[in-house]
Amino acid sequence: MPPPEGDSASAQAGNNSSDFVRKLYKMLEDPTYNSVVRWSADGDSFVVLENEKFTKTILPKHFKHSNFASFVRQLNKYDFHKVRHNEESGEAPYGRDAWEFRHPEFRADRKDNLDNIRRKAPAPRKPAQADDAFGASQQIVVLSESLTATQHQIQALQEQYFELAQTNKVLVNEVISLQKMVRAQSQVSNELITHLSNIEDRRRNSRHSAHSSHSSHSGPTFHAGSLGQLPDGADEPAAELRRAREILNGVSPDSQADRELERLSVAYHQNGSPSDSATSSVMFTQGGPGPMHMLHDPLNDPRHMVYPVGQTTGIDPFHSDHINNIPYTRPLSNPNPMADSAQITPPPKDQGTSMWSHKRPRILLVEDDKTCARIGAKFLHVLECSVDIAKDGLEAVEKINNPENNESFDLIFMDIIMPNLDGVSATAMIRMVTARVPIIAMTSNIRQEDIQTYFQYGMNDVLAKPFTKDSMIRVLRKHLAYMLKDPLQGGLNSDDTGQTVGAPGPPGQNQQAYSNNQQAQANMMAAAAAMANSSMGSGAQVKFEQTPIPSPTTTSSWHSPGQMNQTSPNMDGGGYMNAGGGGPGGMVLTPGGTQRPPPQPYQMMNNQVNSQLAGGSAGFQGGGHMQASEGMGMGGGSEENRPEKRQRLYGPGANQGPFVQ
Amino acid sequence: MHSHYDDDMEDQDIMPALNFEEHVDNGIFEQILEMDDDDKREFSKSLVTNFFDQAEETFVKIEEVLNNNKVDDAKRLETLSSLGHFLKGSSATLGFNKIRDSCQIIQQYGHKLNVDGSAEPNEQVCLDKIKGALETARNDKDELAYKMFNKIDGFFKPHDE
Repeated sequence: MPPPEGDSASAQAGNNSSDFVRKLYKMLEDPTYNSVVRWSADGDSFVVLENEKFTKTILPKHFKHSNFASFVRQLNKYDFHKVRHNEESGEAPYGRDAWEFRHPEFRADRKDNLDNIRRKAPAPRKPAQADDAFGASQQIVVLSESLTATQHQIQALQEQYFELAQTNKVLVNEVISLQKMVRAQSQVSNELITHLSNIEDRRRNSRHSAHSSHSSHSGPTFHAGSLGQLPDGADEPAAELRRAREILNGVSPDSQADRELERLSVAYHQNGSPSDSATSSVMFTQGGPGPMHMLHDPLNDPRHMVYPVGQTTGIDPFHSDHINNIPYTRPLSNPNPMADSAQITPPPKDQGTSMWSHKRPRILLVEDDKTCARIGAKFLHVLECSVDIAKDGLEAVEKINNPENNESFDLIFMDIIMPNLDGVSATAMIRMVTARVPIIAMTSNIRQEDIQTYFQYGMNDVLAKPFTKDSMIRVLRKHLAYMLKDPLQGGLNSDDTGQTVGAPGPPGQNQQAYSNNQQAQANMMAAAAAMANSSMGSGAQVKFEQTPIPSPTTTSSWHSPGQMNQTSPNMDGGGYMNAGGGGPGGMVLTPGGTQRPPPQPYQMMNNQVNSQLAGGSAGFQGGGHMQASEGMGMGGGSEENRPEKRQRLYGPGANQGPFVQ
Repeated sequence: MHSHYDDDMEDQDIMPALNFEEHVDNGIFEQILEMDDDDKREFSKSLVTNFFDQAEETFVKIEEVLNNNKVDDAKRLETLSSLGHFLKGSSATLGFNKIRDSCQIIQQYGHKLNVDGSAEPNEQVCLDKIKGALETARNDKDELAYKMFNKIDGFFKPHDE
């Protein structure tokens, strides 16, 4: 495939072949550009005098990009040629840095002639240009030769296509099985959180009855008194649990993409399961091929042998829609994360080295709230990113449209609700200019339908507010993996990553520490599930959502293999379990990690957990869940609505002691 | 007392014990503290200071809207909701949970919703709830500001004494 060449190039790949030339002519008509770009004296060529100025100011105006090389390529496509001057003989009429281009039909005085300047034919067509001098039979010979050549070409293309289709099949299978693992993992996490917070809930209740005098009026005396106390370990996991829950919530798959993937996967399975897809998804391919329908085998499918459809029908299933919905471009280079994560030891907490390879990412932070913007910017500075702040969507769009900034941001964090121009609209506008830069929604509004809207308008991911340094790291690693110094061993802060995730994180994993880790755990879980559920042999058809919710006992036994597998000293393993065991101060401090003294209890947790239980299914629960954690849900009907639980959240719940007055 | 506690800690990098009780999510707040370049806490201190200013300004605005009977209730609620949302973002980012919760209540009733998401069609009820939440938020803010800045053992003071 040819490399992409910027917006104008692709926009012009269509029929209006002289559009480019017209733009070019129009540009040259503007006398104010004279010092930068103008017609030559004879009017039979044009000269770019000041390359840099031209690239930065004129190109964006007329061609919507600022890439001089792309401009030159475009010119070449239309058969313009650079006029070469012999510089050694001092013959450089417009200066050494000037670029002069000429096309025999492109003249200042022949505006009417522009239509005669066309894009060069992409492939050599010489054999088709039958010379009149040949006789009819010779023409036939030439034609049949060219036909043979074309057929060879098609054959080659089909083979290539077949290879690609195979690769895609593997990838789709891979993604499907990864999704299942992630889902399994998040169900497991949910169960764990539920279990732990039930225990914690019970304990807190007993504590609160003991601490009834512990009220919200707490003067300095009370303070001084309690200052020296170790924060009570029993209060610790709530905030962690909440964060874990939020993260689980944030990992919300795009259901449309899921459906497409499912469709592809079904199609592929009907076509037989390739052995090579078993590399890292043993669990899900061992079921073997389903019924054999020759749906997609390009070499055998007669449709593909009919010229000229062969090439295009094969690509169809990978319509850009689908490709865009497979968001992770980096292939899993580590097919066996289980083995790896078992060997990895936590890196020392040495933050002296940069996590980025050569260039530090340049981030645009769009946030109307000063406090959030300052904190976000500070986090990003600490992560060695350079940060530009826009205070609303309008300013963000202006910054992107400014040719000096165009394409130079590596990632955009975008608040949603802002004055002047909201984040979603701003994203839509930015997407008209640049398709590539990852745009991350920063919002507390992470209901499923909201997220879908964000994605629809071109956002790539969601960072739940209040964001933390860890969650920012996670986003950066995921979307700027190509900028990491060592994507496979990105040691810096990966302990933090583990913590954000709220799942055991093998530190020292790559930017996919998160997903690999999930996969590793999910593998374990899947294995456990497979043992428990023998009906699961049939390839990709396993439905974890339908697994009945295990009792707490089951849950903890599920956890143990994962826990043994993970060498990560993460609090999730040790801390949670200990806390669950009821020992005060049960927190396990991460060696060299960023474990903190236990935070305050977080009353929302119980509520979330309860609604999770009520919901019954695993993973994200869309609106219902969010309603619990954010209180933002609009359609309260779907959610269980027990007032006594709600009171926990905001009311002066009787057993909540010091909470909201 | 403070230093005695610190001496007992194995890891001196660990933050001093935070004692804001349910006002603050320590985990979140510590992330902010970690951003300080030294123990003078310039960054976090100015953040918190700015936040309190911002909070007070927002409270005043909310009060103005509440007292402005000339505008119709629906419009006022809309404004109140966005004011609540605004302050919710920064309080949540700092981990100031009590204030955040009050902001959430203001935002919700501004949308004519109860905190559980069910509809509250009575606009007067919504305005009253917002009034109550504003009161709570102000008290919490004062209490927290005291914990942060009082001259005896305020969080941002002890090192200077």
